[in-house]
Amino acid sequence: MSSAEPKLKRRAKGKRPFYFSDPDIDRLLSMLMALAGELSVTRDRLDTLERVAQAKGLLSQADIEAFELDEQALSDRAARHQVLFKEVTRIISAELEGLDDSDATEYAEVVAQVERDD
Amino acid sequence: MPAAYKEQMRHSALPETTHDELARQHFVRSFKEHLVHQVHPGLATAYEKRAKPSFEATHQRAPETIQEVASVMKQDSHYQVWSSLLRTSQEMMWSSAQLPVERSLSSLIARARKRCSTGSLTLDPKLPIPAYHTAVDIHCQPGGYHTEYTADDVAQGAIYDRAVYLYAMGQMGENNADMGDSTINWLKANYPDFSPAKILDMGCSVGHSTLPYASSFPAAEVHAIDVAAPMLRYAHARAAAMGFPVHFSQQNAEATSYEDNSFDLVVSHILLHETSSAAIKNIIAECHRVLKPGGLMLHVETPPYEGMSPFDTFLFDWDSENNNEPFWRKSHQLDLDGLARDAGFDNPVIKVMAPSAFQETQRSMTFQGGDFGGGGVWFIYGCQK
Repeated sequence: MSSAEPKLKRRAKGKRPFYFSDPDIDRLLSMLMALAGELSVTRDRLDTLERVAQAKGLLSQADIEAFELDEQALSDRAARHQVLFKEVTRIISAELEGLDDSDATEYAEVVAQVERDD
Repeated sequence: MPAAYKEQMRHSALPETTHDELARQHFVRSFKEHLVHQVHPGLATAYEKRAKPSFEATHQRAPETIQEVASVMKQDSHYQVWSSLLRTSQEMMWSSAQLPVERSLSSLIARARKRCSTGSLTLDPKLPIPAYHTAVDIHCQPGGYHTEYTADDVAQGAIYDRAVYLYAMGQMGENNADMGDSTINWLKANYPDFSPAKILDMGCSVGHSTLPYASSFPAAEVHAIDVAAPMLRYAHARAAAMGFPVHFSQQNAEATSYEDNSFDLVVSHILLHETSSAAIKNIIAECHRVLKPGGLMLHVETPPYEGMSPFDTFLFDWDSENNNEPFWRKSHQLDLDGLARDAGFDNPVIKVMAPSAFQETQRSMTFQGGDFGGGGVWFIYGCQK
């Protein structure tokens, strides 16, 4: 990611509802789905690779087993892992981002505000 | 099962995605489809077998209101799982649409800047963003419609364009145009001789529903307003990329700068539920003011709650409390006739269900949280001046 681009807000303003008696279950479920998402991304990439390689007659199982990682490949992978961690733990960082928000309006108050007739 | 997988039309203003960014978006869409088709149906079972009997045991009658259904369903484990997953899918959707935009914002802005010869764009940096937009970020888009991160920003619009496609799971067609297309179909079937020369789309966001009017009425002058500058900049670039001359202008639909009796047709699409009781009166009155005598006002929404069972209403109402749509509930329970009368309309009020123009949409005729566009019909509210 280019550091010249502005950082976007990752949390929607407004109190987040939780559904289970212990909100940590919601947090875990959120992380679980993010993890499933990242797994799906990886599988899609693998699928792409295999389809391209097969179409070009390039792929053999022996090539994959014999492949050795160089420094560049290791760095690329480490950077991807960081994106993965950020995605998986997004709910935690979003809550922290929320702690800095100055808006303390209760959601019910927002509803009352927009429903008011005058 | 969901319809065959179709992708959004790749117009040149749409953010480009890397392989993995696109895969992340595809997962979100599949996640949402899974919730609609595999998890949501279990809610009715959970209600009939567990929640409703539990209410009946205490009250000797079935639940009659949203609040009564909520009092038992919110305790039900299947409802908790569905809600928690649906909320998470919404957050993942925005995140997956944000990532490519955040990475490439300066080039998106540069591309949007180049396209200024088609139609027009008039911004008003002094226009106040109404409280009903700033109190919470509507439907959980971080930063809402209006946030600007840098000069000439298009980020919120670019994110919204892609996210709406994922949100509707493609059920609004390759250009997210179903609400506009469906309304025009209805209009042409019911007012065959109506040929508007001047059209206004209120709360246009990125112009998903605006462009169908430019396409169907090529001789008409099409104007579109929104309070959010990043939406309008992107909308202008998108319209130009798709070859439609639309005049975009940063204005609040409650009080516009247009002259009295100046439009033949004034429309909005899912605008009203994102305003307030006070604002909606102003908007309907403003429609009446800017319409020519004989002109038509048409607002497209999801249908009012009236006539739905308490359980269906409870599920359809999910967005009110769970997706930052604070006016959703009230906006589905309005006195629509009274609103039109108070604004000066005398003709019979139009309250109709218009079938979806997008043929692939399954017409389930049911409305549920998390299945936007899946009902296969839209509700049109309006009146002729």
